[in-house]
Amino acid sequence: MDTLQDKGRYGFQHIGIPPCGYLDYLSAQLANVIVGNPKEAPIFELHFPASSFIFNEAHTICISGANFVPVLNDKSIVLNTPIQVSKNDILHFMQPLLGKTSYLSIKGKIDSIAWLNSKSDFSSQLKTNDQFNIIARDGESKINSDKTEEQESKQCNINDIQKHIFNSNEIRFIPGPQWNDLTNESISNILKQPFNTSLNSNRMGYTLKGPSLELIEEKSYLSSAVTRGTMQLLPNGELIVLMANHQTIGGYANIGQIILVDLPKLVQHKSDTPFRFSIINAETAQSEYKQMQKCFS
Amino acid sequence: MIQYFKTMTKIFTNFNWKVQALGDHAIQFYLPEKMDSAMISEIKCFHDFIFSQQLKEIKDIIPSYHTITLIYDIELMHEPIEFANDLIEKYKSQREIDLPNKEVNKIIEVPVCYDENFGIDLINMSTKLNLSINEIIKIHTENIYQVYCLGFMPGFAYMGDVNIKIQTARHAQPRKNVSAGSVGIAGAQTGIYPMHSPGGWQIIGRTPFKIFDKDPAILSKFKMGDQIKFYSITRAEFESLNENEL
Repeated sequence: MDTLQDKGRYGFQHIGIPPCGYLDYLSAQLANVIVGNPKEAPIFELHFPASSFIFNEAHTICISGANFVPVLNDKSIVLNTPIQVSKNDILHFMQPLLGKTSYLSIKGKIDSIAWLNSKSDFSSQLKTNDQFNIIARDGESKINSDKTEEQESKQCNINDIQKHIFNSNEIRFIPGPQWNDLTNESISNILKQPFNTSLNSNRMGYTLKGPSLELIEEKSYLSSAVTRGTMQLLPNGELIVLMANHQTIGGYANIGQIILVDLPKLVQHKSDTPFRFSIINAETAQSEYKQMQKCFS
Repeated sequence: MIQYFKTMTKIFTNFNWKVQALGDHAIQFYLPEKMDSAMISEIKCFHDFIFSQQLKEIKDIIPSYHTITLIYDIELMHEPIEFANDLIEKYKSQREIDLPNKEVNKIIEVPVCYDENFGIDLINMSTKLNLSINEIIKIHTENIYQVYCLGFMPGFAYMGDVNIKIQTARHAQPRKNVSAGSVGIAGAQTGIYPMHSPGGWQIIGRTPFKIFDKDPAILSKFKMGDQIKFYSITRAEFESLNENEL
């Protein structure tokens, strides 16, 4: 499922409108910044098998996030680098080599209709023959404007971000309101046993495979707000981690929230590589988030 | 008048708001966990107060049965718990001088056609509850319901409380498609599906009203704290009023 996404739609969750927005916001921001767009500009979010794109005029593009082996007119192109495309060039994605969600940025403004301050749509996906006009944007690419020091420092940031998202099997969370309703065995399982993402994962949530978990007593909870990264324990003992298109409130046990800076790791985690959970405090999580955001300013 | 203010103050200070962090980008205010229509006006009041503050740190304010959750911008927020406790203090001091919200008493009347072609669970419910369909309709239209919260999908309002005589648990297996405008019951709650969607509630009728409109000036017909009264209409009246796509 391929969509156009931006940072999402906030200010309407009290009437049940999900926030949406890019799943792996770090890769999306990276692709935007590399072509000189604002970090929160709308961008194409792609899942394998991904759409192909034909360019009607020359553009600067960048692909970040998952590596689906992008090929421009049968010649492979690299990720995280500005690429010049010409009129009639065709971009294909060949195979899901690394990660699950890829981003295609195009220098300029993608002309599409915003609803409630966001171009993220939770129901419509890209269709064959969809056309988008790209409106030229003032301002140079941050990477091309200064070829010496700035480029080097950006390059370093790109590697750091890539490593953070793709080279770690540890996903950190902060225990939630119902953490203490878990049995001791379940708590120990979460912290010591490996988990995998499952194929039952989409923009609403990722269902995890792992040890079966249970509450001390079967209990129903009154619904309250959930957010991206919320770990809900379903009655069948499975964990689901909520993603961008999540419902605004939920009544399952909220046992924790994955920290925002680690959420892209989970988004990109393929089902064949196990990962482990660990606990972190909010202050560290927030300072790591802010540190990472400095790469894009 | 002074006497009146004193009484109001006493009622409001009975609510003892507490705060907990929810991960690294949300904080939650909470009251004791119970479905209590008396708490709704307090939650609405606190929600409206926070909204009126126009705080740049806050991206969303999400009220529910016994909680209000703030989604915040990590880069703009410092000391979230302190921030939340300050909000409670500010609210309490302001709350004591404010008059109760007049809007709370507004009742929204909603027409429902309880035709069996729309109320596809009416016949089964009638057998199970040992009530005639007319009795179910009479009981459903008798109460004034409050909107406890919205969620599940844009504009879906959870309303209560349904008279115990017609309370019915939701279907074990949700239907793949419930029509827009369908009025359903799930235990003590009643609600309306704003758009075609999967759903497990017991469907007893359909409203011709559009419950959610993408027009930014309209959006959700209901908001938390609203009071709703249903009234029965005929199939012909439904057809002439219908605003939904069939």
